[in-house]
Amino acid sequence: MRIKSMIILCFLAAAMTGAVFALPGPSKAKGNNSHPASRADENDLRIEGEQRFRTNCGRCHWAPHKFPPRMMATIIRHMRVRATLTDEDMRIILRYMTE
Amino acid sequence: MRIVSHPLSYVSSATLVLSFWLALCYGASAQQDDSVKVVPILSGTAGFITSIDAGHAELSPVFDPVLLLPFGDRWLVESRAEFTGDFQGNNGRFGGPVEKEIDYLQLDYIANRYVTVTAGRFLTPFGIYNERLYPVWIRNLQTTPLIFPIGTGSSDGAMLRGGFEAHAGLDVNYAAYFSMLSTVNKLGSDRLAGGRFGLFLPGQRLEFGVSVQHLLQENHSNALGFHCEWQPRSAPVDLRAEYAHSALGSGYWAESAYRLSDLPVWNGILRGAQIVARMQQFFTGDTPDDSTAEYGVPDSNAKQAELGLNYFLKDGLKVTSSYGRQFTSQGNANIWTMGIAYRFAVPLGRPQ
Repeated sequence: MRIKSMIILCFLAAAMTGAVFALPGPSKAKGNNSHPASRADENDLRIEGEQRFRTNCGRCHWAPHKFPPRMMATIIRHMRVRATLTDEDMRIILRYMTE
Repeated sequence: MRIVSHPLSYVSSATLVLSFWLALCYGASAQQDDSVKVVPILSGTAGFITSIDAGHAELSPVFDPVLLLPFGDRWLVESRAEFTGDFQGNNGRFGGPVEKEIDYLQLDYIANRYVTVTAGRFLTPFGIYNERLYPVWIRNLQTTPLIFPIGTGSSDGAMLRGGFEAHAGLDVNYAAYFSMLSTVNKLGSDRLAGGRFGLFLPGQRLEFGVSVQHLLQENHSNALGFHCEWQPRSAPVDLRAEYAHSALGSGYWAESAYRLSDLPVWNGILRGAQIVARMQQFFTGDTPDDSTAEYGVPDSNAKQAELGLNYFLKDGLKVTSSYGRQFTSQGNANIWTMGIAYRFAVPLGRPQ
């Protein structure tokens, strides 16, 4: 019975997640290409991107080499679903991998 | 087989419908970087694994093509098929059937930064091995854990999943799903509902989580699982463990893998090498013997220890080997494996 309750709670938690967090949030500055960044900022973003790449991708497999940009965009979308990457991780890793 | 409507199925169905609606209504905040367009990809794994289990040699060619079809800013169709040969030796000749399966064929809609809606056939998210570690180019040891059949496989239905930063330094990931009964060839699934919830500390590279599942047919049994994963920053080590309990049985596996990339000697050669050790145990459940055979779990209590050595020749191409010793009440046995695995990715369009 406890297991059933836990499953019901899981579904309710998912519904609550959809309800509470689905509201449009503020866009993250990191990973946004619309504003030119200084060289120092670019370097910080590169380091941040590498860290997030190793932290997230390295959890399951050895770090792959960089693919061409459009391939990388598809792969990161696939991994967002498969590995439940966060939206911010996806953007920063994609930027790092397509530099 | 008699299917009985269960109150849980109504709750889960209503919740999924509600969540679909919410996701579609409020799905305005998740878009991939507009500056990078997407392209369809044919990816996957090819491998050739040889094994000797208790003196019986087996050759296992593996081919798992993965098709990724993205469209728009938020949609993705993804599919993986598996072609596996389990060729047994007979008078020096090896042969046997080639098993063909569709592991997943799903439509994903990234509704917003918190929710992705998935419909179709998907890998059942129970623990971490089935979804993340199963491909032969990823797994550290080519033998799957003894508890792997518990709660895993593929499901036909709908799922909500996602990952988001809940607090600075704390990411949450989750999956909640409902699966229908299907007896369609290559697309079989059980009627069940379940979920997985995980917490990930990116700073410590530590994740732990819990999985639950309720079968909505036959014996209406429950399955419960825990997983933990840690990659300390101080050394190139992967530590992973899973526990699972169900009517089929229960057990655990714990694995550590050490990359020799930081050794001060012969770094050019040893940086591609990895040493792996895994310990696991399985305890039989209270199901009849034909169920254990159907699901592929051991029919007696078992304990298994394994050591492996992998070597990456280049990105996505590795040579793998292992030795293991299994202890059961029916006797002990040696398990040897050796093979090669390759991951490929080909754009089906202009890649730049």
